[in-house]
Amino acid sequence: MRKTIATAALLLASTALISGCEKLSQASGSKAEVKNTAYPEQVYWGDTHLHTSNSVDAFGFGTRLDPEAALRFARGEEVEATTGTKAKLARPLDFLVISDHAEGIGATKALYEAPRMLLTDPIALRWYDLMHEGPEGSLKATGEMLAARASGNTPAFMNDKEAAEKRTLKLWSEHMDTVERYNEPGKFTAFMGFEYTLMQTGNNLHRNVIFRDGKDKVSTITPWDPQDSLWPDDLWAKMEAYEKNTGGKVLAIPHNGNVSNGLMWMLTEPNGGPMSADYARRRAAREPVVEITQIKGDSEAHPFMSPNDEFAGYGVAGWEKFNLLGNIATKQGDLPGSYVREALKRGLLIEQRTGVNPYKFGVIGSTDSHTSLSTPDENNFFGKHTGVEPGPKRATAGFVPGVNSGRMNWESLASGYAAVWATSNTREAIFDAMMRREVYATTGPRMVVRVFGGWDFKEADLQGDFVKAGYARGVPMGGELKPGGTGKPSFLISALKDPEDANLDRVQVVKGWVDAAGKAHEKVFDVVWSDMDKRQPVNGKVPAVGDTVDVATATYQNTIGAPTLATVWTDPEFQPGQRAFYYVRVLQIPTPTWMAYDMVKYKLTLPPEIPLKHQERAYTSAIWYNPG
Amino acid sequence: MQFKDTARRLLKEPLVHFLIAGALVFALLSGRAPDLGERRIVVDEKVVGALVGRFYDSFRRLPTKDETDGLIADWVRDQVYYREALALGLDQNDEVVVRRMRRKMETLAVADAETRTPSDAELQAMIDKDPARYAEDPRVTFQQVYLGADTPENRLKAEAELARLRKGEQVSGLPAPIPARMDNAGSNETSGLFGDEFTLNLRRLPVGQWTGPVASGLGLHLVRIERRAAAEPPKLAKVRQRVENDWRAGAGAKARDEAYQRILKGYDVVIELPK
Repeated sequence: MRKTIATAALLLASTALISGCEKLSQASGSKAEVKNTAYPEQVYWGDTHLHTSNSVDAFGFGTRLDPEAALRFARGEEVEATTGTKAKLARPLDFLVISDHAEGIGATKALYEAPRMLLTDPIALRWYDLMHEGPEGSLKATGEMLAARASGNTPAFMNDKEAAEKRTLKLWSEHMDTVERYNEPGKFTAFMGFEYTLMQTGNNLHRNVIFRDGKDKVSTITPWDPQDSLWPDDLWAKMEAYEKNTGGKVLAIPHNGNVSNGLMWMLTEPNGGPMSADYARRRAAREPVVEITQIKGDSEAHPFMSPNDEFAGYGVAGWEKFNLLGNIATKQGDLPGSYVREALKRGLLIEQRTGVNPYKFGVIGSTDSHTSLSTPDENNFFGKHTGVEPGPKRATAGFVPGVNSGRMNWESLASGYAAVWATSNTREAIFDAMMRREVYATTGPRMVVRVFGGWDFKEADLQGDFVKAGYARGVPMGGELKPGGTGKPSFLISALKDPEDANLDRVQVVKGWVDAAGKAHEKVFDVVWSDMDKRQPVNGKVPAVGDTVDVATATYQNTIGAPTLATVWTDPEFQPGQRAFYYVRVLQIPTPTWMAYDMVKYKLTLPPEIPLKHQERAYTSAIWYNPG
Repeated sequence: MQFKDTARRLLKEPLVHFLIAGALVFALLSGRAPDLGERRIVVDEKVVGALVGRFYDSFRRLPTKDETDGLIADWVRDQVYYREALALGLDQNDEVVVRRMRRKMETLAVADAETRTPSDAELQAMIDKDPARYAEDPRVTFQQVYLGADTPENRLKAEAELARLRKGEQVSGLPAPIPARMDNAGSNETSGLFGDEFTLNLRRLPVGQWTGPVASGLGLHLVRIERRAAAEPPKLAKVRQRVENDWRAGAGAKARDEAYQRILKGYDVVIELPK
């Protein structure tokens, strides 16, 4: 009897594969054409960085939710989180990229499900047993896997190429079918993608790889594993070959410069020599967008480089101490190569010398969540991984409980989302918007932010259809202002609060430029803020907006701040001969952090070092000025 | 199917014959009469094939003779202990065993549902049950005048401004970077700018006249709906992919629950809670 059942199960499993393929072709046949608008009328919200049970570490951390669950959740459906609670987004997303680690994709799951008798490697046996012990054991095993990876001691059984290839091929094919089934042009965009987990002894050089194409083209590859690569050149070569072979398109998004120990945005080439124009051109072409904020901290700016920017320290705590894996301390000299604002400045410097800007990138936020759940909302935050899903202990736990990660979980940000100004909700339109950098980042709230740069914008433009004026007489975020105008560049800027979230404190323009002596500078301008008549600048600084947060109940009031802020700002310090960039930062009024919500929900007493309020924000892609 | 051939080849090996014979002899000579099924362990073609196959899956090569020998010996040892343990009732109340058995049963129940293709009638029934879920977004064309944050003063102001609008006068409202008119806007667009509550109101407000104040996430507005396109009833051909995704996502859980309920019927469950 037992035998019959087993055989039946095997037979059923193989027919599942065959019928899965048939269904796909039926489904893709019924897709409707979607019309694009003349210019981007709508901002689409998404996450370009999400891990599911197919990621080696995510499975080890405990998540059992697969890509389909991730897609359904992003689409607005309720799912059951691995730890058993019901999870649902208050507002669905418009698009999602599942970016499971290519390296060892599906491997932890395979180890977990392997027949124990066939595990001969003592480490494999140890991890297998730990994982089967329960959540704590599983976290421990995963901590050991990461540590082994950091020290270059990944056990041989995890590097079995042939077994991995076979497993990857099957998994990738099934994964692409799932993504195709959930990609609904015009309604919800599901992208093909994966994470290229490039690392140098724990220094983070990770990239998320995103395709414009469907299974017909993407099935020509399996997720690229960096193996022993040290620099992203190998990835770019693979991307170039893919585009050449298929006629498709692919881009890469670097993330977490903050834990790269200065390697993410270097002034030099990997070999140490000055960066060549060719190298700069290749990088800019392959990596049009950078992830500026996520759960593992914010990479916009650091107080060390931006001492005059009182908002520069957001999401820096904890992440500035070590590289990603916590095995090498970060030196002060490493910081400039690790943060986005400095990278934008370095881009100008390299352009000054070579004529090409390697770091002319747009910015997005994403979660990097390892729970299959994209949740950057403070009051609905499911944590970085399943070991820190909602529960009374997570606010005071380590980043990976039970493992010395050098970081506390409260240093995790409930952040962020990618906002894309696209002409429709399709793979093609969203991808193309990323290529032209018409994107911005938020730490979670969905503020609607527009910025146009031109030579003749006036206050009156805000009264009419300013969007039309913006596109007609200027360039949007991500664009380049060409010389030719007279006078000084002016910027049409508008910010709407997230209609379901907090009011806005202020809008700032961050300018970076290179002076005649070849030195890079930065300056933050407050350009419009709430209650401007009452909040007059003191010593050039706009006073704080105030604070309505009641920590005891984790609530705030929209009695301060403004629902909308708009202005036309002209750069008073413009010098026609100086190359420059301008990006917009929008700050919300203070609101409770996820720890404050946890404190109320679980009736906790938290130590004083845990921040209970903060100012969430949006960062736009820059507009560049090039004197030519 | 390479390993099948290998397995077949292996089964011609004298060593394997010897082992199979040995197992039989062992069973015969163990002093007890071979209780068929209970005290007889047969290492046959299927067993060896499976052992070699699993080894091949893990190591991508065939086991050596010694290794095959070891695999078989270990399998026999497993069987012996397994049967003895069952006889001693060691499987009883072992949480790991219980879970594993449950998962196997559930997998069987679900496997069938996951491979099935739903009929059009089934999918249509799902649409009929919740047409709004699959309907096209209702589109609305409207004008709005923004009055600022939701304060008592602005609510008062709203009344006066509404009266002026109804007389046909021009009211410009507070300058804000939001469109004064939206054409054929879907709920995604209106929710993104004004919030969900405002979007719901757009579906309810009367057509052709100025009304308000209507609250949004940004504050107060006066609104005039010009046109509302009723959502067409969803057609299966257009939404098949989405319905089928839902069917598939629900099918596993449904099959699991149904199978459980079927089995549960044969049991008498008595729950005695402590008083």
